[in-house]
Amino acid sequence: MALHISTGPHLRAKADTQRLMLDVLIALCPATAASIYFYGIKAVLIILVSVAAAVLSEFVWQKLAHKPIRISDLSAAVTGLLLALNLPANVPLWIPLIGSVFAIIIVKQLFGGIGHNFLNPALAARAVLLTSWPSHMTKAYLPLRTLFGSAAATGVDTLASATPLLVPGTTEVRDLFFGNIPGAIGETCKLAILIGLVYLLVRRVISWEIPVVMVGTVALCSWAFGADPLKAVLSGGLLLGACFMATDYVTTPMLKLGHMIYAVGCGLMVALIRQFGNYPEGVTYAILLMNIVTPLLDRALKRKVYGEVKQHG
Amino acid sequence: MKKTFPGGVHPLPSQHQGKPLTNDKAIRPFVSDVVCIPMNMHIAAAPSKPIVKKGDHVLMGQLIAEAVGPRGVPVHASVSGTVKDIGMVQQLGKTTSQCITIENDFNDEWVELKGLGNVENCDADQIIPAIQAAGIIGMGGAGFPTHFKLQVPPEKKVDTIILNGAECETFLNADHRLMLEQPVRVVDGLRAAMRAAHVERGYIAIEDNKKDAIAAIESAAKGRKGVQVVTLKAKYPQGAEKQIIKAVTHREVPSGGLPADAGCIVLNVGTAAAIADAVIDGKPLVERVTTVTGRVREPDNLLLRVGTIFLDAIGACGGYTVEEPGKIIAGGTMTGICAPNDTVSMTKTTNGIVVLDQQEATSLDESSCIRCGRCVEVCPMHLDPYRLKNLCDANQLKEAKDQHIMDCILCSSCSYICPARRWIMSSIKNARELIAQRGI
Repeated sequence: MALHISTGPHLRAKADTQRLMLDVLIALCPATAASIYFYGIKAVLIILVSVAAAVLSEFVWQKLAHKPIRISDLSAAVTGLLLALNLPANVPLWIPLIGSVFAIIIVKQLFGGIGHNFLNPALAARAVLLTSWPSHMTKAYLPLRTLFGSAAATGVDTLASATPLLVPGTTEVRDLFFGNIPGAIGETCKLAILIGLVYLLVRRVISWEIPVVMVGTVALCSWAFGADPLKAVLSGGLLLGACFMATDYVTTPMLKLGHMIYAVGCGLMVALIRQFGNYPEGVTYAILLMNIVTPLLDRALKRKVYGEVKQHG
Repeated sequence: MKKTFPGGVHPLPSQHQGKPLTNDKAIRPFVSDVVCIPMNMHIAAAPSKPIVKKGDHVLMGQLIAEAVGPRGVPVHASVSGTVKDIGMVQQLGKTTSQCITIENDFNDEWVELKGLGNVENCDADQIIPAIQAAGIIGMGGAGFPTHFKLQVPPEKKVDTIILNGAECETFLNADHRLMLEQPVRVVDGLRAAMRAAHVERGYIAIEDNKKDAIAAIESAAKGRKGVQVVTLKAKYPQGAEKQIIKAVTHREVPSGGLPADAGCIVLNVGTAAAIADAVIDGKPLVERVTTVTGRVREPDNLLLRVGTIFLDAIGACGGYTVEEPGKIIAGGTMTGICAPNDTVSMTKTTNGIVVLDQQEATSLDESSCIRCGRCVEVCPMHLDPYRLKNLCDANQLKEAKDQHIMDCILCSSCSYICPARRWIMSSIKNARELIAQRGI
């Protein structure tokens, strides 16, 4: 009889990396569906190119670097999908292609692969695309059709002046919530994002602290700046960022207290950039900045170890 | 009010910790043809020294090996019969152990026993010698000599004894059934230990998933001096010594210290029952309740003689349900020890035998840490398991020591919850052995 021998634990929790990433993909389904509803075939193509480029570049890299092929952990697919949802509808398809390759090769693999990147790959790629091709990246388009809409204008390829952040007074809350506004394809329908958030919370993939504290901070700051906090929360990429990108395990602190500080920092930066910055939208840079602060928070925050005696402390 | 500690996990939620397989199975005695009794069932002292020879006829409860040194523990025959062999046998440990094999004559003829009588009235100074003479060790798994545990130096100011009835390990119901079926023995044992250690306060701490056991112990404890039942939240590792002390008394054992440094002694409920037998009847520890479960036909809670071969116990439960078992675990699936084969013996500390199939037993591939923070969240000692794992893998033992690696209680919660399937606890355990070897 050949028995296996190991230390404990002999049975493990069900959720492994692949399952967690699959849960994130499932949670992104409503937002993905909404993006296709609002932007049609353009959204489909962006998503396909982005996800395929992310997964393929990870595969090729791991093959060439003689590393174990781990695309089945689905993390590259998550990166590709998140990047796609953060792009406007009319970008040329080489934009998601370059973005995904940059996210996977430069941001993720060059730093050691999954778990070792210090920036969220999708956001870092978006930031690079934004600074490299601002003409493509800053245009926002009105959706093809509306969802429970008020009299918001729709039209094929209608170029809106910019994101509604520049004209907050004129958009109704209902349109902001359901997505009858111009913006990146996956960020406009707040209903879809919130359904995804509820799924992530129920499945315990993430906990409530980061999204709630980040969004709460933005609401509070907007109120302090004299803006409508509800519209501030429902505008731009805040909810998509707070629910799906600020909660990325790899680039957020390990401790709960760290989560709180990180989330307040993210919210504060969003509010400051929106109020005082040149960009209309600050979610990408706010989260990336706090990604950089994460290792410092991990180092600075210490819990009291059980049994630590005061005189030794 | 339910008491608990911060951190921890709820293992195997879909199987309810594996407990339903046996939690309603009454304790059933089983006696095998032969027992093979190891001399090193205890820790913290040299192995016991055999005083019988091959061919000797022994009675049940007869002393067959004497204690070595002040912490040492004697061993008694768990069946009546003939000594068949004394020799080295592969057991659960890394090396072989000296064992006495006795062929059972099924007469169950006991040696003459002389107890101290009622635990409340007997001479308190005679209790610890009686416990030592009965060969009692910690039956929750560790096997620390109980007589030595109860001899606390007066400067430690021990004022509390906690009976550990948490049984937070997966699959096991041995303590649960014992508390439910024999609550008076458990309470008697606690009172004897309290009198022996001159302690006024005794708690029996039980997880809230054993409501029937709580009720049984509560009624048995009614009117007993200084005894209180504490309901604990069902969570792993609620029954770990440091965590149960924290939950019950809100005290913490100082780093590197012993429970006595927090004014506590923690005893397993099975140990308490054995103490009651030793004090009241003078009966040595020769049998215990063991849950035999997992991939066996009829999972059960067996009352087994010390030295029963695993295969005999598994046979008493209808044998394997799989052609080839993958793993046989002495204990639960969180911290249990893997048996090298199914012919090893159960000892005074074997609270469970869990059989896993091939698929369950297959090791999972370790992948990169995704920094999800789950290990940090569940660590009941508030360590950073992910960081310790990285330091261990990089062989940075000095840094690992500075990061409190020695405070780890090896509960496995971090490895259990890790989505990257990292062997965190194993690495910590190995690193600690290296630290001890190299004197870092």
